Amino acid sequence: MSDKAPLHYIYDGIEEHDNRLPNWWLLILWTSLVFSAGYWFWYHIAELSPGQLGEYSGEAAEVAKRNADHKPVSDETLLALVQDPTTVGNGKAVFQANCASCHGAQGQGLIGPNLTDGFWLHGAKPVAIHKVVAEGVVAKGMPAWERTLGAERVRAVAAYVLTLKGTNAPGGKAPQGEPEQP
Amino acid sequence: MQQQRIIYDDTTVRRFIMASVLFGIVGMAVGALVASQLAWWQANLGIPYTTYSRLRPLHTNAVIFAFVGNMMFAGIYYSSQRLLKTRMASDVLSKIHFWGWQLIIVAAAVTLPLGITTSKEYAELEWPIDLAIAVIWVVFAINFFWTLKKRNEKNLYVAIWFYIATIVTVAVLHIVNSLALPFSPLKSYSVYAGVQDALVQWWYGHNAVAFFLTTPILGIMYYFLPKAAERPVYSYRLSIIHFWALVFIYIWAGPHHLLYTALPDWAQSLGMIFSVMLWAPSWGGMLNGLLTLKGAWHKLREDPVLKFLIAGVTFYGMATFEGPLLSIKSVSALGHYTDWIVGHVHSGALGWNGFMAAGMFYWLVPRLYGTKLHSTKAADAHFWLATVGILLYAVSMWISGITQGLMWRATNADGTLLYPNFVETLLAIRPMYIVRFTGGSMYLVGFIMMAWNLWKTARAGQPVNGEATVVVETPAPAPVPAATPAPGWVQVVTGRPLIFAIAILTVTMFLGWARPVRALVLMGAIIALGEFAWIVTRREREAGRPSWFGLIEGRPLAFTVLTLVAILIGGVAELLPTIMLKQAVPAHGEAQQPYSPLELQGRDLYVREGCYTCHSQMIRPFVAETQRYGDVSRAEEFIYDHPFQWGSKRTGPDLHRLGGKYPNLWHYTHMLDPRATSPGSNMPPYPWLAKNQLNTKDAPKKLTLMQKLGVPYTNADIDTAEARQKSQAEGITADLATQGVHLKWDSELVALIAYLQRLGRGPQDVPVQQQPGGPPTASAVDSQGGTR
Repeated sequence: MSDKAPLHYIYDGIEEHDNRLPNWWLLILWTSLVFSAGYWFWYHIAELSPGQLGEYSGEAAEVAKRNADHKPVSDETLLALVQDPTTVGNGKAVFQANCASCHGAQGQGLIGPNLTDGFWLHGAKPVAIHKVVAEGVVAKGMPAWERTLGAERVRAVAAYVLTLKGTNAPGGKAPQGEPEQP
Repeated sequence: MQQQRIIYDDTTVRRFIMASVLFGIVGMAVGALVASQLAWWQANLGIPYTTYSRLRPLHTNAVIFAFVGNMMFAGIYYSSQRLLKTRMASDVLSKIHFWGWQLIIVAAAVTLPLGITTSKEYAELEWPIDLAIAVIWVVFAINFFWTLKKRNEKNLYVAIWFYIATIVTVAVLHIVNSLALPFSPLKSYSVYAGVQDALVQWWYGHNAVAFFLTTPILGIMYYFLPKAAERPVYSYRLSIIHFWALVFIYIWAGPHHLLYTALPDWAQSLGMIFSVMLWAPSWGGMLNGLLTLKGAWHKLREDPVLKFLIAGVTFYGMATFEGPLLSIKSVSALGHYTDWIVGHVHSGALGWNGFMAAGMFYWLVPRLYGTKLHSTKAADAHFWLATVGILLYAVSMWISGITQGLMWRATNADGTLLYPNFVETLLAIRPMYIVRFTGGSMYLVGFIMMAWNLWKTARAGQPVNGEATVVVETPAPAPVPAATPAPGWVQVVTGRPLIFAIAILTVTMFLGWARPVRALVLMGAIIALGEFAWIVTRREREAGRPSWFGLIEGRPLAFTVLTLVAILIGGVAELLPTIMLKQAVPAHGEAQQPYSPLELQGRDLYVREGCYTCHSQMIRPFVAETQRYGDVSRAEEFIYDHPFQWGSKRTGPDLHRLGGKYPNLWHYTHMLDPRATSPGSNMPPYPWLAKNQLNTKDAPKKLTLMQKLGVPYTNADIDTAEARQKSQAEGITADLATQGVHLKWDSELVALIAYLQRLGRGPQDVPVQQQPGGPPTASAVDSQGGTR
C-alpha cells in the first residue's frame, strides 16, 4: 500500500508519502479522548466520587473501626502475657527490628535509656511501660508505636520489655530516672 | 534561474558528536558509580564530592544535557542544513554555541559535586549557569531561525517542525522554572514556594523529557531513519496529527509527577488525563518510524545503524506506553517513589536516546570522514550488549519497584503494617540493585566500544564537508493573478483548521467550571464542532483547495508562533490558577510559622547535600503511609518552602513528619553512621557535617531575602536572627552534651538537626521562639514538645 500511497513531497532525497492512519491507532486516540472526557466529567463535573482526601478519610475510618481493639490493658493482663512464650518471642522479634537501634540489642541502652537496670523515667508499672511504647514520649524522642505496629505487637513488645527488667545487660548505659519501688 | 553551490558546515557536527560521545562516557560512568553506591554504600568513599546525593544530579544532568544535548545539536546541525538546502547562517554563532555549551557542562561538573545546587531536578544548576544556558540557547535559536530565513527550500519538513518546537519550548521552560532570587554568586532561592514550586518544577521536569529528550530526537528520527533505510516516510498526515497533538498535549502532563500529593485534585486529574491522551500521539511518531521500514525489514539483519534506530523507536513506543500507564492515579499510587520510575526513565534514556544516538553516530561518522565504518562486527556486539544491558536494567527495576511498592502497603490481617521497618523493604530489593548495576555497566561497556569504533573510523578517513548544488529561482515577475489573494498572514489566521481548533478549545475550557447539565451540552457542542470541521476539511480536500497546513509549513514565523501558542495554553491553564492561590487561607486555620534562622540554615544544608534525591517530604493520603510516616501532608505546610523539597524517590523513608520523632542524639549518630541506628541502611555517612563550620553570619541575610520572597519575617526577626540562631543551636548541643556528645554549636550538623527536628511540625507544635536567656539547657525537642 505504501508504494501506491500518494507522494506528498521529497526533502533532501527523503520521500514523504501520505498514507491513511491505521484504524487501530485511531481507536487508541479516540478511546483515550473519550476516557479522559469521561474521567473529568465523573470526578470534576458531576463529582460522583469524593476527592483523594475524601477517599482517604473513608479508608482511614474503616481501618480504625477494624482495628478497634477493646482488649483492656492492665498490669495483670500484661503480666499474664509475660508468661506466654509465644508473645514474648514475638515481642523480642519486634524489639530487635524496631527498638534495638536505640535501646540496644539486649536493651542495654544506646540512644535511648537502659531497659535492664531497674531504673525508669516514666514509671515502672507494666501499664506505664505499655503506655510509653504505644503513645511514645514525643518530647524525649520516643516515637509512638501503636500507629505503626498496631495494638497487638505493642502489647507483645511491652511484655518482652518486662522480661528485660533487672537483667542488667553488660555494657549498659548509666541509669536514668527513678529506681523501681518494690 | 541560477545554480548555487553550497558547502555545509560539518565541522560543527563533528565537534558535537565528539563532545556527545565523550560526555556520554562520563555521564554513564557516573551513573554506574551511583548505581553501585545504592548496592554497596562503601562506594560513597566517605568524602562529600563522591557521595551519592551529590553525584546523582551530576549523572542526570550529564546524560540529559551533555550526552543527549550534544547529540541533538549534531543531528540538528547536520539535518537542518540539508533539509533547508543552505549552510548554517553563521559559523561564529555555531562556534559560540558549541564552546558555550561545553563550558556550561564543565561548570555543571564542577559545581554539582561541590554541593552548589538549587535542588530542582534536572534544573539543579545555580543561577549564573542558568543565565549562561539562556544566552547560549538564544544564540542557537538565532542561528537556527536565521538559517530558516535564508533557506533554499520553501517547505519545512517534519523534522524541522520538531526542531522549532524544541527551541521555543525549552526556552520557555528553562526561564520560567529557573526564576530565582540570587543570594550570592553561587546560591539562589526559587521565587516559587511549596505547591507552586512543585507544579512549576514538574511542568518543567516533564517537559524537559518531552522537548529535550523527545521532540528533537523525533526530528532526528524523521531524517536519519528514512536516510538509513532508503525508504519513504510512511505518512505525512500522521506527521501533522502527531506533531500538533504532541506539542499541545505534552505540556499539560507535568502534574502526573505529583499524583496523590498536596497539589489540588483538579490539577492532578489534568495531569493524568493529558498523559493518557498522549499515548496515541506518541505512538504516531513510533508508527511513522517503524512503517517507514515497510518492505525493508531484511536490511535490519546486516545494518547496525538500522538495528539501533529501529530498536530505539521500539523502546520509545514501550516507554510512551509505560508513561501513560504510570500516570493513572491508581498505578502511580503503587509506582511513585519506587524504582519502577527509575526503570521507566532508563528505558527512555538508554533505549530511545542512547540507541538513536548510536544509530545516528554509526551512520554519520563514516560519512563525515569519507570512509566506511571501522568494524560492523563491533557495532553489532555493541547492539547486543546494550540491549541485554537495558533489559537487565528495566526488568530489575520493575521487580524492585513493584516489590517495594507492595511491601510499603502490605498489611497484616489487623490492618497494621506487615513491614513497619523501612529497611526491610530496602534489603528485599538489594539483589535487584546489583542486577541493575550489571545491566548499566554492560551498556557503558558497549558505549565505550562504540567510541573506539568511531575513533578508528575517523582516523581512517579525512574530514569531509557535505556539498550540494541548488537551483535558486530568481524571482520571476509574478504572473498577474486574476484576483489578488489575501495576504499570507490573513490566510494563516483565517485558516479553517485554526479557527476550528480555537473554537473547540474555547468550548472545552468551559468544562473546567461547568455543572453536569451544561457540561453535557458543551460536550455535545464539541462533538458537533468536530464533526463539522471534519466535513469541511474533507470537502476542501476533495475540491483540491490548498491545505492550510501546507501554508504554515512554508512560513517559519507563523509556524513558530502557532507552536508557541500551542505550548503556552497548557502551561498557563495549569500554572496560573495555582500561582493565584498564593493568598489562599490555609485550610488548617492557623498560620504556618516560618523557619527559625537555624532551621533555615539547616534546610540549605539539606539542599546542598541532595537529601531530596533519596527522601520525599510528602505523605500521600493512604492509610499505609499515615501509619508509617504520620498525618497526610497538606499544601499550606509548605508555603514558606523556597524551594520545595517533596522529592520524587524514596530510597529512604519519607521525612515530612520526622520532626520530634527521634532524639537529637539519634540524628547525630545516624548522620555519622547511618547503620548504627538503622542496620542494613544504604545511606552514605555525612561525617563532614560535624566538622564544617556553619556560616552563622548568613542567617540575617537569608531572612532578609526570604522576606523579599514574601515570607513574613519581621525586621525584629532579622535583627535578632544571629542571637536566636545561637540560642537554638546551644539548646541542641546542651542536649547532646547530657548524653556525652560534644559538638560545637556552630557546626553544620547542629543546623541540620534543627531543620530535621522541625520537619512537618505545624503551628500547634512550634512554640513562640524562646528569648535568649530562657532555660539554656532545654533541648530543641524539649522546647518544642507538642502533641501530634
